[in-house]
Amino acid sequence: MKEPLFLFRGINKTFAESQVLLNVDISLCQGNCILLSGKNGTGKSTLLKIIAGLEIPDVAEIVISGKSESWKKTITEVRKAIIYLHQQPLLFSGTVEANIAYGLRFTSLNIKQRSESVKTALAWAGLTKLAKQQANTLSGGVQQRVAFTRAWILKPKVLLLDEPMANMDHESRIQACNLLLRMKSAGMSIVITSHVLQYFDGLADQHFKLKHGRLETAKVSKKKESPAA
Amino acid sequence: MNGLLTTFQQALQLLLAGDQELWTIVFLSFSVSLKAIIITTPLALLLAFALTHGKFAGIRIILTFINSLQAVPTVVIGLFLYVLLSRQGPFGDLRLLFTQTAMVVGQMLLCFPILVALGYAAIKTVDRRVWETARTLGAPVWFSMLTVLYEVRFGLVAAVLTSFGRVISEVGISMMVGGNIMGYTRNITTAIALETSKGEFAQGIALGLVLLTLAFLLSVLLSYLQGSKEFSR
Ligand SMILES: Nc1ncnc2c1ncn2[C@@H]1O[C@H](COP(=O)(O)OP(=O)(O)O)[C@@H](O)[C@H]1O
Ligand SMILES: [Mg+2]
Repeated sequence: MKEPLFLFRGINKTFAESQVLLNVDISLCQGNCILLSGKNGTGKSTLLKIIAGLEIPDVAEIVISGKSESWKKTITEVRKAIIYLHQQPLLFSGTVEANIAYGLRFTSLNIKQRSESVKTALAWAGLTKLAKQQANTLSGGVQQRVAFTRAWILKPKVLLLDEPMANMDHESRIQACNLLLRMKSAGMSIVITSHVLQYFDGLADQHFKLKHGRLETAKVSKKKESPAA
Repeated sequence: MNGLLTTFQQALQLLLAGDQELWTIVFLSFSVSLKAIIITTPLALLLAFALTHGKFAGIRIILTFINSLQAVPTVVIGLFLYVLLSRQGPFGDLRLLFTQTAMVVGQMLLCFPILVALGYAAIKTVDRRVWETARTLGAPVWFSMLTVLYEVRFGLVAAVLTSFGRVISEVGISMMVGGNIMGYTRNITTAIALETSKGEFAQGIALGLVLLTLAFLLSVLLSYLQGSKEFSR
């Protein structure tokens, strides 16, 4: 396997008295997709949030290009390359367009480039007609698409998806899977949590199971060949 | 009865004729209270935000403290400030007693706990995912905070209006540390309280009408905001 973008090592996390994560290692590589399964409440979301810098671990290290540093010291830099998507997406009050443009103001793009970028993204996601709609009035499926586009437009190196398929019908799942495949072949590193495994046949390169705070390697099913490859 | 009617007519005359003394007093009231609110609001919202989104020890204690501060009578705040600012007090050298600055500071003390408590109640209703989403999309801490506050903008404006209504109608602080000096520290409430006792009924009633109108406008605005808040979600 290629050298990882980021290797998170020795992640420990306790909530109150209960230890949720116990010495978890996870390495994020370019063009690689990790499937993370486990029962409800085993700490999948917590793990993703720690990787995204949204939750603070008790201890953890991050290894970048062979150099190991504490999570605390490096996460500010590392999180810039990582985006976490909630299981239930949250859209800010405002239009679809404003939601999609949100993160662009923190990039080096100028105003003209930003509006170009938004236009492209709206077209890419088939949301052009809904651009001026209030985002919170849309249906759940469309909201999810907006949230996804809002992340995609920023071209993160790592995308963390928390139960992305939970509220989708069969058709949307296949669409989403194809989309993720394309993003993977473009070099994005993807981590997906789910407790339904067959959705991700052909997409996941590695499969880990979270159990009693530890990450166990599980089999990957590669029945389908990736259609986009 | 007849006398009361005449006084009322005089009051209306004062208001409508643009009596300079009267409008100086009104202007001073607004100026002092607006300054107090404008300076206090960012500080109070910052604390309210920290209390809702922060993870540190003592949040409950601070909240309890803030709530009990709200119960302190304005004359006691005035007295406290008076002692600090009087000649022999620790800040006596600043010579702030009986100035507008002292009134602003006193009103800031009054509205700070109110703004924190109302701000806290409003910000607490914001989904934690707003903060997380803003942060993960690359927003710096200060911008993520503004994003969270923007989600409850109606509630926050309501909090500010409520606090404004409270400070502009208080009398204890202005009386204690302002001193009711005409053209300098005499505001609506001290004028009503202290001038009426000298028999200046017409002016008192005119100023009372100004306060009543303001209170009415504020409550109309507040109920309008209440409506917007319910329909915006
Ligand atoms: N903010 C929190 N405070 C206390 N306990 C939490 C918090 N977040 C998660 N937990 C606990 O940590 C465990 C793992 O939660 P989570 O990561 O959401 O699991 P999963 O995503 O696998 O369902 C659960 O037992 C949950 O109750
Ligand atoms: Mg979860």
